[in-house]
Amino acid sequence: MHIAAIDYMANNGDSFLHQARPVTKVFISFLFLVCLIISSQIGKALVLLVIPIILILLSGVNLREVLHLAAYPLVFSLIFALIRMQQSWILGMLVLIKALGAALNMLLLLATTPYTDLFGVFSYVLPGVIVDVFLFTYRSLFILLDKLENMVKSIRLRGGFHPMKLLFNLKNAAGALGVMTIHAFDMSERMYRIYSLRGYKGKIPVTRDWWPLRLVDGLLLLFSLIVLTGVLIPWNI
Amino acid sequence: MSHIHLPDGVISPVWWITAWIICITLLWLFARKLQGDELRRKTPIAGVIGALMLIFMSLPLGFIPVHLSLAVLSGILAGPGLGLIAAFAVNTVLALMGHGGFTTIGINTLLMGGEAVLGYYLFKAASGRIGAVISAITANIIALTLSTALMIVIVSSAAGLTQALPIHSHDDHGQAQHGQAHIDEGQYTEDKGSEQSIENVQFLSLAGWSAVTLVILAGIFIESLVTGLIVRFFSRVRPDLLDSAVKG
Repeated sequence: MHIAAIDYMANNGDSFLHQARPVTKVFISFLFLVCLIISSQIGKALVLLVIPIILILLSGVNLREVLHLAAYPLVFSLIFALIRMQQSWILGMLVLIKALGAALNMLLLLATTPYTDLFGVFSYVLPGVIVDVFLFTYRSLFILLDKLENMVKSIRLRGGFHPMKLLFNLKNAAGALGVMTIHAFDMSERMYRIYSLRGYKGKIPVTRDWWPLRLVDGLLLLFSLIVLTGVLIPWNI
Repeated sequence: MSHIHLPDGVISPVWWITAWIICITLLWLFARKLQGDELRRKTPIAGVIGALMLIFMSLPLGFIPVHLSLAVLSGILAGPGLGLIAAFAVNTVLALMGHGGFTTIGINTLLMGGEAVLGYYLFKAASGRIGAVISAITANIIALTLSTALMIVIVSSAAGLTQALPIHSHDDHGQAQHGQAHIDEGQYTEDKGSEQSIENVQFLSLAGWSAVTLVILAGIFIESLVTGLIVRFFSRVRPDLLDSAVKG
């Protein structure tokens, strides 16, 4: 999974985007997303695709990693693009550009914002328990991925995987997943005890620094408003 | 299984806004139910279930182009409410990674969470009569078939999938002129008409749909089998994990 690489970029980057307030980044990401969804002209959509690419380059995140992840939505949208291409090729291209642009927007947000800050912004609109579930999910994911990696190594070393024996592999994989699920449940029980001892009452306190806005926030907001205006205005050049 | 990875901009706003409203309402209702110690105990469970679902999804199934989600198993283990909350967390994390659109989180959560909710109740109803393993497999097959059918209905009506169906009129494309040309060519005899009908069947598309159906069936089969095997493992090693679904 590339999630660890993305997480590393978000926590260790030092670009102007990393320094911007999380709430600003979430706001402009959603603004660009809205712009992409409402744009019906291929020219505008292309501009909206180029913007996150430029921002990714400027923010110094690993472009290769991001493009690798962005390839998935491109592949999935290909099916819908082919269907739309039966109507017109522009419609098909629009589907591809919108899917790729939206994915790059989200990846840019995730690669420049640590997940605790991101879920902190979400906590403005979501119930506390849901935000806690996000935090527990994210935290558990890395621990369980480590366990899975070790388990897969053990299975291979002990001859539990044969490329040609599908049922045999499935049986062993199910056993491994079962063991991991049991580990996960034990882990949740431990988390419950630890958090209870620390006074957890159903809402993990998350930092929500959004004020005062910095110069970079102001510039990003201004830029996003210019882009929105550009999308809304029907250009006749 | 039914996670459709619909990108942004494909589904019409009516669909995704409605799905978001239903999803948020359900999440709010389920979240409200959790209070006090139950809330403290179950929130980490929902978190690890979400993490497990993400890991299950990352497992490659060789040459079969689908992935597991084990949403039904999550529903059986965590219960319907937590299953839905975990599905929401999973879809949000995936959307942030560009895996499926942000606007389609609502639809994806309803589909995946629906599997968890339905699977839980089906398993609960059947496990007392036919044993845990068979119940889990049956619940899985029914829940996945229904959610996949629902997914196809949503995609068909929202993304214009009728364009890809094997038999459709050329007028469906909105090519009025093209349709007119057929009429202007004159009178078709009965034989010519049937030849034309045969030509209208897009055999490539038909083969494509057969392949899609086979892939979906293979996905349902594998996911049901793995769920059954994991439930069998639990009933031997940790039967208490299934208690909440078996005893209620």
